[in-house]
Amino acid sequence: MSQRSHFSRIIINRLGSMPLAITLLVVLALASVIGTVLQQNQSQQDYLQQFGPLWYWLFRSLGMFDMYHTWWFLTLLGFLMVSLSFCLWRNVPRILKQTRTRKVYISDRAFSHITHQQSWLLRDVSAESLTDNIKNRLKDWEWRSEQRGDTLYLRGDNGRKHKLGYIAVHSAMLVILIGGWLSVHFGFRGDMSVVEGTSEHGISFTEGTGVGHLDMPFEVRCNEFSIDFYPNGMPSEFRSNLTVIDQGKEVLTSDIIVNEPLYYKGVRIYQASFGDGGSDVKLKLYKLDGSGTVRDASTQVYQTYKDEETGITMEITDFRPHNVENMAEAGHVKDFQDMGPSLDFIIRGEGLKPVKVRSFLNAFELNDDNRGSIMMISTTGDKQDFQSVALGIDFSDPQEWALYNAFIRELIQTDPNDKSAKMVAFKAAMTEVFGDKRPDNFQAMAVRVLQATQVLPRMPWPFLPVLEDYEQKYYTGLQLARDPGMNVVWIGSALLVMGLCIMLYISHRKLWLIVRPEQGALRLSMAGISNRNPLNFNREFHTLLSQMEDDLRPHLTAVPNASPQSESK
Amino acid sequence: MTTTIQSPAMASLWFQGKVALVRYWAYLGLLTGATGLALFGGDGYTESGYLPMLISMQGVIWLGTGAVLGGALCVVYSIIRPEQGRSVLAERLVSWGDGILLMVVMMAIFTLFEPSASAVSYEDQSNLLSIKLIMAMNMAFLFSAICYILLLFAPDSFVGRMANITAWLGVYIGGSMLLLRWYESYLFMDGSIGHAPVSNLYEVFMLLFCMMTIIYLQWEKRYQAQAMGAFVLSLVAAGVFFEIWLASVGQADIKPLVPALQSYWMKIHVPLNFVGYSAFGVACGAGMAYLVREWLEVHKPNGTMLRAFPSLEQLDELAYKSVAVGFPAFTLATILGAAWAAEAWGGYWSWDPKETWALIVWLVYAAYLHVRVQHGWEGRTLAWWTVSGFLVTVFCFLGVNMYLSGLHSYGQLS
Repeated sequence: MSQRSHFSRIIINRLGSMPLAITLLVVLALASVIGTVLQQNQSQQDYLQQFGPLWYWLFRSLGMFDMYHTWWFLTLLGFLMVSLSFCLWRNVPRILKQTRTRKVYISDRAFSHITHQQSWLLRDVSAESLTDNIKNRLKDWEWRSEQRGDTLYLRGDNGRKHKLGYIAVHSAMLVILIGGWLSVHFGFRGDMSVVEGTSEHGISFTEGTGVGHLDMPFEVRCNEFSIDFYPNGMPSEFRSNLTVIDQGKEVLTSDIIVNEPLYYKGVRIYQASFGDGGSDVKLKLYKLDGSGTVRDASTQVYQTYKDEETGITMEITDFRPHNVENMAEAGHVKDFQDMGPSLDFIIRGEGLKPVKVRSFLNAFELNDDNRGSIMMISTTGDKQDFQSVALGIDFSDPQEWALYNAFIRELIQTDPNDKSAKMVAFKAAMTEVFGDKRPDNFQAMAVRVLQATQVLPRMPWPFLPVLEDYEQKYYTGLQLARDPGMNVVWIGSALLVMGLCIMLYISHRKLWLIVRPEQGALRLSMAGISNRNPLNFNREFHTLLSQMEDDLRPHLTAVPNASPQSESK
Repeated sequence: MTTTIQSPAMASLWFQGKVALVRYWAYLGLLTGATGLALFGGDGYTESGYLPMLISMQGVIWLGTGAVLGGALCVVYSIIRPEQGRSVLAERLVSWGDGILLMVVMMAIFTLFEPSASAVSYEDQSNLLSIKLIMAMNMAFLFSAICYILLLFAPDSFVGRMANITAWLGVYIGGSMLLLRWYESYLFMDGSIGHAPVSNLYEVFMLLFCMMTIIYLQWEKRYQAQAMGAFVLSLVAAGVFFEIWLASVGQADIKPLVPALQSYWMKIHVPLNFVGYSAFGVACGAGMAYLVREWLEVHKPNGTMLRAFPSLEQLDELAYKSVAVGFPAFTLATILGAAWAAEAWGGYWSWDPKETWALIVWLVYAAYLHVRVQHGWEGRTLAWWTVSGFLVTVFCFLGVNMYLSGLHSYGQLS
C-alpha cells in the first residue's frame, strides 16, 4: 500500500514537473515545424509525384500529410494536458495554503537571510505610532501583526494575486485544450460548392488521406454570386446571395461576404472561394484549309467538346470574364488594362500534341490600336508557361476572316516569285470582299491580314477555336462549420491573458517589521522581499527606506547601522 | 513615449497625480469612442470608410463624447473618493497617449505638404511625401545605430545623447509617416482603396522599427542600459536595409486590400502582434549584450568597453522584462487572430503555417519563462534562448511569408 502510494507520488511528481513541461513545450514546437514545411492535405498524387514511392509510403504511414490529426501528435497534446493537470494538482493546494496562512512571525534566522533590510534604534516613540506610520505610507498593502512577548511582528503583503495568476494561466491552457478537443469531436467543418441558381446540402472535408461527407439538416441555395473589382483589377469584394431552405421552406435570405458569415441553426456559413459553375460558352471553329468555313461549337465549362468531323476534342477547363494585365513594359509606370473574357481549354487529337490554350473574345488593343486577336498557348499544360501568339486578324470582325481567306485564295493563284503579286492579290481580295466601298481602316486591316498569313498556316490544328459568346455562371465556394468548443476556447483565452498579466506584471512583495525594546529604546528592523522583478523592488525598497528615514529622523539615536546585505545590488 | 519637459513643476503637474489620471481616462474614453464608431457608426464598418468617418463630424462627436465622458467620470470619481489620488499605471500610460497625439499632429502638418491630388497617381507613387519621410526615418535609425555602437568605445561621451535623440526622432518620424500613409492611401482611385498602413510586409516592417526602438528607449530611460542600444538599434538597422531592398523590388507601393483583410480586426491583430515581435527583438538585443559582456569579462576585463555595459544581472533582467512585455501581447494577438479567423475562415485554428509558427514562437517563449523559474539554469542559457527565440520569431513573420504558402499569403513577396 505504502509502496503503491510512493510509486504514484513519483509519477505525479514526474508528470507535473518543470523539466517535463519544458521538454514537452520544445518537442511540441519541433513537431509542429514538420507540418508547416510539408504542405498538408494536398492530393495524394501530388505527394507521390513529389516524393517518389518510398518516401511517399513512409510519410503516409506516419500520417505526415495530415500531421496535426495523427495519433502521435494528439498524444503529445494529451501529454501536455496530463502534465498541466498534474502540475496544477501538485501546486494548487500548496499555493492556496500559502495564500491563506500568512505567517506573521518570522524567526531571526530567516529574517537575517533576507537581502533587503535595514534597522534603526529609536527613542521617544511608541510601537503603535511606528506601525501606523508604515501602514500610512503603504496604504494598499495588507497588514497583519502579532505580539510575541515584548516583540511586535508586522507583516505586509502586496500583490498576493501573483500566485493566482499562475493557477489561472495553467488552468486556462487546460480549458483551451479541452475546448479544442470539443471542437474536433463534436464540431465539423467542410466545403460546399453551390452553382448559381442551384442548391446543395452536403459538405465535404479531408479525412486522413481521403474525403469525408456530411449532410446538413438544411439546404443552401446560391441566388447570385458577384465580384467587385478595384480600378486596377484586383478583386475588392466577393459576395454571395444565399437562401437557406429548411424542410422545403425558404427560411432565410442574406448576403455574405468574406469576414461576414451567416449563422443558421448553430452552423456558420462562410464565403471561402468561388469558381466557374459551368458557364455556357460558344466557340467558333475557323477552318484553316482556306475554304473559309466557320462552324459553331456550343458547350459548357468542365465539359469536353468533340468535333465530329476531325475527332479533335476540347476539354474546357476555365472561363474568366476579366483579364486585367499590366500592359506597361518592365520598369515603366504600370498600366492596367482589362483584356476581356477568356476561355481555357485543352486541345487533344490524333497526331497532335495536347496543349493548353487560352482564347480571348476581344482583339488585343494597345494604345487604342487594334493588334488583332491573340491566343495563349502552353505546351506543358502549365499556366505559367503560357506564351501569347498574335493571330493577326481580328476574329470578332467576320469581314477580316473573309478578307484573309480571299487573300489566301488569290495568293495561291499568283506566281510566288513575282514581288508585286502580293499587292495585286490583296487588291483583288479587297474587291471580292468589299466591292467598291473600301472601309476607312483598310490599311491597318491589311497589315493584320498580312501578319495572319505568317501565323495561321503554321497552326497545328485543322481549325482555330475562338471564343465567341458566353453566358457566365459562377459557383460560390462556401465553408460550413459548427464549433461547440469555440466558446470554451474563448473563456480559456480570456483566463490565459488575465492570468499572464497578473503573473508577469504583479509581483508578490512582502515586508516584515520587527519592533523590539533594546537598551531602553526601540529597535525597528525592516526587511523586504519580492518574488520577481528585483530591479524595481531594489529601487522601491530604497525609496521606502529614505522616506522612513525622513519620518524617523526626530527619533533616531544614532547613525543607522546599515547591515552589509542592504548594499547588494 | 515621454516628451522631456525641462520645467519640473510644469511636468509634475501635467504628468502626475490627478491631472494625469483625468487625462488617462480621457484617452481611454477616446479609444472607446473610436471602437464604438467602428462597431456602430455609419452603416456598418468598411475599411475604406473608417478614416473619413473618424475625421467627419460623426467621428468628432463619437471621439469627443468618449474623451469628455472618460475625463468627467474620472473627475466625479476623484471627488467622491478623494483619497484615491495617484495611479502609477495612469502616469506611465498617459505619456504614451501624448506621444501618439503628437504623431497625429505631426501627420496633420505633413498632409499640408502633400502633393496635390492631381499630381499623384496609383501607378507612380514616387512623389508621395511619405517616401521622403521614410528616407528621413531610415537615416535617423541608421545614424542612431552608429552612435550607439560608437558609445561602446567611448562611454560617457556626447554620442550617447545624440544616439538617444536620433532614435526618438526616428520613432516620431516613423510613427507620423505611417499615419500619413493611411491618409495617402485615400489619394488614389477616389479613396476606394483606403486602408490602415499595416497591410503588407513593407509597412509592418516600419512599424517594427518604431516599436522596437520605443521599447528599448523605455529600458534606457528607466535602467540606463545604453550599451544595449548598440545591439537593438543594430537589429533595427539590419531591418532598415531589408526594407530598402523591399522598396527596390517594388514592394513599397500602397496596394488595395484583398477581401480577407477588410476587417477592423486587421488594425488590432497586426499591431498587437508586432508589439510581441518587437519586444522579442529587444530581448534578443539584451541577450546579445549579455553574451558580449560575458565574453568581455573573460577576455578584456580591464577594457573601457566593459564600463559601458550594464551588469549581467541587469541585462538578464531586461531580457526577461522584454519577454514579459512581448509574451502577453503576443498571446493576446494570437487569440485575437484566432477570433478573426473564426469570423473569416470558418475556424479559430486551421494549422495554417503562420498560425503554427505563431504557436511555435509562443511555445519557445513559454519554455523560456519556465526555464527562468527553474533553478540551476544560468544567465548564459537564457541569453542564448532569447537570441535563438528571436531567430524563430523572425522566421515566423518573415520566413513563413517568403517560403511557405498558406492562408496568410497576402504578406508574400511577389
